[in-house]
Amino acid sequence: MTRTSTLFPLGRRTLLKSAAAGAALAALPMRRLHAAAPLKLGVLLPRSGFLALIGQACQRGVDMGLPVLKDMGYDIEVMNADTESSPDVGRTQAEKLIREGAQMLMGTFDSATTMSVAQVAEQKGIPFVVNIASDPKITEQGYKYTFRVFPTSPQLGAGGMGLMKTLFAQTGTTPKTAVFMHVNDSFGMSMLAGVNALMPKLEMPFKIVETIAYDPRAKDLSIEVAKAKAAKADMHMVVTRLNDAILMVREMVKQQYETQGIISPGSPGMYERQFAKTLGKYADYCVTNIPWFDPRSDLNKELEPRFTKAFPDETYDINFGFTFEAVLVAADAYKRAGSANPQALTEALRKTSIAKRLLTGTAIAFDEKGQNNGNQVVAVQNRDGKPQVVLPDQFAVMKPVYPVPAWSKR
Amino acid sequence: MAMGRATRMLIGLMVALLLAPFIGNDYLVSVLILCLFNAYLAQAWNIMMGFAGQLSLGHALYVGLGAYAGGALFFHYGTPPWIGMIVGAAIAALVGGVIGFLGFRFGVKGVYFALLTIAFAEFTRILFDHFTWVGGSSGLYLPVVRADHDNLLLLRGRPAMFYYVILGLSAAVFLICHRILGSRLGYYWRAIREDQDAAQALGIDTFKAKMAAVMLSAALTAVGGVFYAFYTNTLYAESAFAMHRSIELILGAIIGGMGTLFGPILGAFLLTLLGELLTRLAENFGHGFEGVKQIGYGLILLVIIALRREGVWPRLAKRLGLDGEKAS
Repeated sequence: MTRTSTLFPLGRRTLLKSAAAGAALAALPMRRLHAAAPLKLGVLLPRSGFLALIGQACQRGVDMGLPVLKDMGYDIEVMNADTESSPDVGRTQAEKLIREGAQMLMGTFDSATTMSVAQVAEQKGIPFVVNIASDPKITEQGYKYTFRVFPTSPQLGAGGMGLMKTLFAQTGTTPKTAVFMHVNDSFGMSMLAGVNALMPKLEMPFKIVETIAYDPRAKDLSIEVAKAKAAKADMHMVVTRLNDAILMVREMVKQQYETQGIISPGSPGMYERQFAKTLGKYADYCVTNIPWFDPRSDLNKELEPRFTKAFPDETYDINFGFTFEAVLVAADAYKRAGSANPQALTEALRKTSIAKRLLTGTAIAFDEKGQNNGNQVVAVQNRDGKPQVVLPDQFAVMKPVYPVPAWSKR
Repeated sequence: MAMGRATRMLIGLMVALLLAPFIGNDYLVSVLILCLFNAYLAQAWNIMMGFAGQLSLGHALYVGLGAYAGGALFFHYGTPPWIGMIVGAAIAALVGGVIGFLGFRFGVKGVYFALLTIAFAEFTRILFDHFTWVGGSSGLYLPVVRADHDNLLLLRGRPAMFYYVILGLSAAVFLICHRILGSRLGYYWRAIREDQDAAQALGIDTFKAKMAAVMLSAALTAVGGVFYAFYTNTLYAESAFAMHRSIELILGAIIGGMGTLFGPILGAFLLTLLGELLTRLAENFGHGFEGVKQIGYGLILLVIIALRREGVWPRLAKRLGLDGEKAS
């Protein structure tokens, strides 16, 4: 007969066996536990529709990031969904992913779709990590489940404008006047508002003598560029998308519109591979002030060669970078939460602190609104067909060139 | 009096739709909301083109006007959407009236009238893109709360509540169309659609009848726009007034069968469900085949239009033995 005490109804041997089994289970590394049940991350990106190229660039951040993250001890299972560049599709896809078991959502590149998905996340109580979307309103709605890694457009503008002063000081050339050409979509208009507000606040040394808004889907910018040329300003400041950036520079070359330089306070277009491929030598010396890959980062050293080998014709740009970081944020929160419970994941996201980043900046951490304020804007100048960090000094890989050579002298 | 076959089938369909949220999950409900929303808009457009023969390719104008009227009133003054629907419908009817007046008074017909509708939709889009009171190009966001309970008065709540609202609206517009088709105005519209000159020769005031079609269609579309604003909570002029929305809106009626009562509903359901099905199929292809859904969708539309020029419903109604009944 097995003896059992009244205090411990289990037998001594049974108790010891149970304790040993429990200790063995507790000793299992967290990674093994997660391997049994990886985080189901619903990835929503515009892989088709008018944002398809960018969506596919973001998708590479997920696909290439997964093995790297696995090596780092993170375990995630990705559930991909295409938003088709449409907020309506984004909404139904988010609902579908949640129904199919997604425990966290990540995406979606454009602000309108991000807003749609954020609402679904809020209604369902599922955490949502935003890789890219700059509209400040996304984190101004009081949402509890939305966390944005990307900077807001005012943050981009403030960082970008501030860095212009550094550029002028370092190169010893300060423009007195500027033309501001910008797209008239939601991103462009919020950047315009930001720039107008920052000009007096930052005591910018130049005056904007002409502001020209245009449709990002424009097929011809000859009139806009002629208008800009007529203003005879020292500098050409822009907020562009990709196709219009190409059209604009092409037209500037055609009209022999010379300036001290083309500078963006933080917008896509000029650092992209297609821009350099299409414009060749004329793409050089354009400056974009934006968070970029930290040349000193170990993650960058790991990912850049892999990316270049796998996609020699594609751009290693921030679409890739911010998407990778968003997946990292999701995986890190899951690891710390130790559970896929939405509340636990949300709580873990709120306490995020990732110092080892791929992109320039301080640790990724979210404020009470769910916004990461740790992004550092750097000046990226196209040099020999490649975007290179030229400012600030701690990230710079070469010296900035300003004023830039004339079109005919390239 | 014994119920007609069509009435019995309609009641059966209504019961099935009423029960759907109890049987399906949130995803199914959200797909059905899209189906019903598209069916609602297709029915509203069908009044103008299907019944009265006036082609509008810029109907997103009225969706946008309704959405912004309802959304902005709620955002700025907390006005309930049901009042927003009245305001939105009135604004849309007025704008529709202006377009109709310009077109019909100055003899702008056919494709030229369609171009006029596109022009109005486009310049209104640009106008709203710069109209800062409604957010301009940065968009208008209605506040969203965690949906634990439904507030029907303010249209804040769970998907099931939105489902029943759009089901009710779709049923209402169906009944309106049914009623009007059997009225004198309905006969006038069909006479104008078939031969305007002959209708005029018979003494029909074609100007008044066409204006009634445009204004009613615009007002009903705007009511759908208010629903859209409160369901999505996000309004961008670029997408609310977009040309693609105008096209999506009319496809249901064309595929289902223009000028019929049930065709636009069937067409909208078919196209929305087809879109969802193709999305699922396209996902199985993985990356690198991103456009496969759009190609498949386009091909299927081509096949349907080639095989069923009059739309799917008339042939189906015949097969079901409903072609002689009013409900078809």
